[in-house]
Amino acid sequence: MTGWLDVLPWAVAAWLLGIGLYGVVTSRNVVHLIGCLSVVQGATYVLLLSVGFRTGGIAPVFYAKPPSTSAVDPVTHAMVLTDVVVGATVTALLLALVLQLHKRRGTLDPEELRPMRPK
Amino acid sequence: MSAATPRGMSPRMRLVLFALAVLAVLPGVVHVAGHMPQFGAHPLPYGDAINAAAPPERHVTNMTSAVNFDYRGFDTLGEEFMLLCAVTGVTVLLRGGRGEGTAGRPGRTGHRPVLPRTDAVVLTARAGAGVLLLFGFYVALHAMTTPGGGFQGGVILASGMLLVFLGDGYAAWRRVVRSEAMDACEGLGATLFALCGFAGVLLGLPFGQNILPLGTIGDLFAGGLMLVENAGVTMAVGGGFLVVFIEFLEETRVVPGADER
Repeated sequence: MTGWLDVLPWAVAAWLLGIGLYGVVTSRNVVHLIGCLSVVQGATYVLLLSVGFRTGGIAPVFYAKPPSTSAVDPVTHAMVLTDVVVGATVTALLLALVLQLHKRRGTLDPEELRPMRPK
Repeated sequence: MSAATPRGMSPRMRLVLFALAVLAVLPGVVHVAGHMPQFGAHPLPYGDAINAAAPPERHVTNMTSAVNFDYRGFDTLGEEFMLLCAVTGVTVLLRGGRGEGTAGRPGRTGHRPVLPRTDAVVLTARAGAGVLLLFGFYVALHAMTTPGGGFQGGVILASGMLLVFLGDGYAAWRRVVRSEAMDACEGLGATLFALCGFAGVLLGLPFGQNILPLGTIGDLFAGGLMLVENAGVTMAVGGGFLVVFIEFLEETRVVPGADER
């Protein structure tokens, strides 16, 4: 039996991916573009956590509960955890590129950019 | 405004192409979403195997840390070096373009005056920094027992240090957070993680083999080699984020006589 609630997590992940890509395509400011890229990345978090979810399962921490308790998947949690931290530094790297772009070209609009040519 | 100008593809054309791509992919997405394993009720063989094996085998109660630092420690090594590469990239781009001169007045944006901070801001930031640093150490230390670990703890520690800038200004912040020390912290943290992985190899065991005594389950310092790896990740993440903060804030340094751009 597949109710609408069973499709919702995948639909949300697909929507985040689509709306993020739409933002990337129509962006007129590279800082906005990097924000859209983070939305695309958000789709992977929703997808991974939904894949690892189990109805009624506890968080995979057995400090106060016996290890036989039904728990959600710790593997996807570990993936998302490292993804968040690495994603933040990659965003910082992209913003550093934006700073250099603004210094050299004086614009943040991707439409204004030309291919680089040797002087 | 024809599409044949050297401007490249017009925004309108790009949007049409995007719509076509969405139309092409959408049926597949709908089909897959309708045929995914049932949400919340499908088998999780890998996760269940970890949940069953890690408490007796590795003497830890936080399964996510067991995956990150032990069972899939090799993957975390890759992520650690992605972090190192991204931070190195930020440093090369910003410090490389700016130079290492420290003659200019920092913490300015153009010629706008810097207003003095109110006492309320200073007090809140100082009190908050202490609490946040304590919380960061708490989260980083409790990697093996309760939800926590070096990734989260490192970010909280770096944010706590950033409050020094908010409360006491740029000069005080740079006196507390030394650029060279943070570079070293970042690199040594990643190195420590790699060495922990290769320690087993040197003894003729597989990569990442947990070779230290495991301790008692539920104890703060159980988990053997995972504790050292967790310390390495805390150093790398905390140091890495602080390096990024330093590099971006150094961009506000206005060199006297240089033209504003």
